[in-house]
Amino acid sequence: MDKSAEMEKEDRQQANNIEVWEDVVNIKDLILSIFLCTATAMGGYLIAPDNPQKSLIYGLIGVVVGFVICSIIIKPKRTLRFEDEEK
Amino acid sequence: MDITLLMELIAVSIFGAVLYTIIGIAPGTDETAVLMPVTLILVLSGMQPISVLAFFISSIVAKKLTDSIPVAIAGIPGGVMSAPMVEHAMVLKSHGMPDVSIRKMASGSVIGTIIAVPLSLILANLLIPFGDTIAGYSNQIFFGGAVFLALMTKNRWLALISIVPFALLIQGLRHLYWGVGAVPEDTTVFTSFFLGITVGPIILKLLELLNKEIRSNLPRKESNNIILKKQKKMKGFPNPFKILDKKETISSAFASVLGVFTFFMSPAGMTIFLGEVLSSRIKDPIKRATRAISSMDGVTNAGYISGILIPIIAIGVPLSPTALGPGMALFNAPPVFTEDHNLHHILSMSDFVIATVIGAVIAISLTYFVTVKYSQEICTFVFKYIPHEALLGVFLALVIMLAYMDAGLINIGGVLLIGLVAGILHRWGINYGVQFMVLYAAPWIVGNLVL
Repeated sequence: MDKSAEMEKEDRQQANNIEVWEDVVNIKDLILSIFLCTATAMGGYLIAPDNPQKSLIYGLIGVVVGFVICSIIIKPKRTLRFEDEEK
Repeated sequence: MDITLLMELIAVSIFGAVLYTIIGIAPGTDETAVLMPVTLILVLSGMQPISVLAFFISSIVAKKLTDSIPVAIAGIPGGVMSAPMVEHAMVLKSHGMPDVSIRKMASGSVIGTIIAVPLSLILANLLIPFGDTIAGYSNQIFFGGAVFLALMTKNRWLALISIVPFALLIQGLRHLYWGVGAVPEDTTVFTSFFLGITVGPIILKLLELLNKEIRSNLPRKESNNIILKKQKKMKGFPNPFKILDKKETISSAFASVLGVFTFFMSPAGMTIFLGEVLSSRIKDPIKRATRAISSMDGVTNAGYISGILIPIIAIGVPLSPTALGPGMALFNAPPVFTEDHNLHHILSMSDFVIATVIGAVIAISLTYFVTVKYSQEICTFVFKYIPHEALLGVFLALVIMLAYMDAGLINIGGVLLIGLVAGILHRWGINYGVQFMVLYAAPWIVGNLVL
């Protein structure tokens, strides 16, 4: 297999999603989300005034911020279909 | 009890109920992984002990109420504990009755809670005289528990052999941290190791994604197809005793009582066992399914509440799967709570009663009402707008932050190592129970290995 074909295969697979923890996720989005949430959490933790309790609260706020950003920029990989109850 | 404290208890209970109503619906959320870190953070951030208990009880009741929603509507377990119910819920779904399914499950939960709260408090009171004796042998009990649970797993010899090496890994890291001065010698790193075990399976899976060979062999999926059934609206305030018929009420209540007395057993195991026993004789498939799910939901709730209340009130050492898992932070969260100074020692009996009752009542009235009336809307919202990636990202970020807090940068690597080993053990069928017991008994096990 030549190099371009291999890369093409890689590309196609990157577009697909895998299952983690009973739900479907995209690898790239997952890495982005982990990176982002960790950055906001540690960012909050480290900029907080030097006091263990405050650090935690800032870190927690960081996590929430990260979660909100991720929820906005990442689309869930679920497709919903509605079915009428009476068939 | 002054009014400000009362308001605080109510506020934290509402917070817990709302938060875990949402998390409960998200598919596949493991109880330990989602409850323990948040509780831990509240403990460490200096929240009053009595408020922590109210928050925890409210959260657990709410989570147990809502994790049955995705089961009923989409056949996806909302948590580990609701997995046994999928089969029966699918029967109802195939008959076009997901709404009935949700209402029956939620009502079973309510009955489980109503029975478990007073019964656990009474049972705990009866056990108090023996509490100190039991606590004195906790190391031996944890080691015995690890051996016992190991023998109960599918690969029992593998599980048995893994006990000592896993204990060595834990103690090895602790001694390393003391040796290089990452933590003072009187500090025992515990919490982040616990979290490492909890997220082990996910850490393993994520690291495997970096292995090209494994990555290209993973099954690929375009998206998770979920089919939601439209359901009828319900009028007025729901009454669990009207939703369940007499036989269902009696068997849920009976199952809940047994769930309380078997607080030291695995709630998932008891749920499957009692659910089958109580429903297997019924011929009509729909009746059998409704009986099974209402009783099962009763047991899970009762088992969880008793599993947390009895050890914390009577013993002070986490001697039940619930206490060892989701409720860990109430027993051991250094420097705030330690084995000799936790809720068991801090709160009085009346504190326990007040916090539990407020937490349970708020979660039931809020979440039960919302669950029965708006399950479809909530489900649609969560499935549509909350990406699974964000949930995974949040929990990993929490673990990394708490690892850093426990022992600095070196501990992020340490927790990763523990997670990796724990993840492999988990994949081999050595469940959380064995690993948590080993974590507890590790100093004792290693101490006895050196002669």
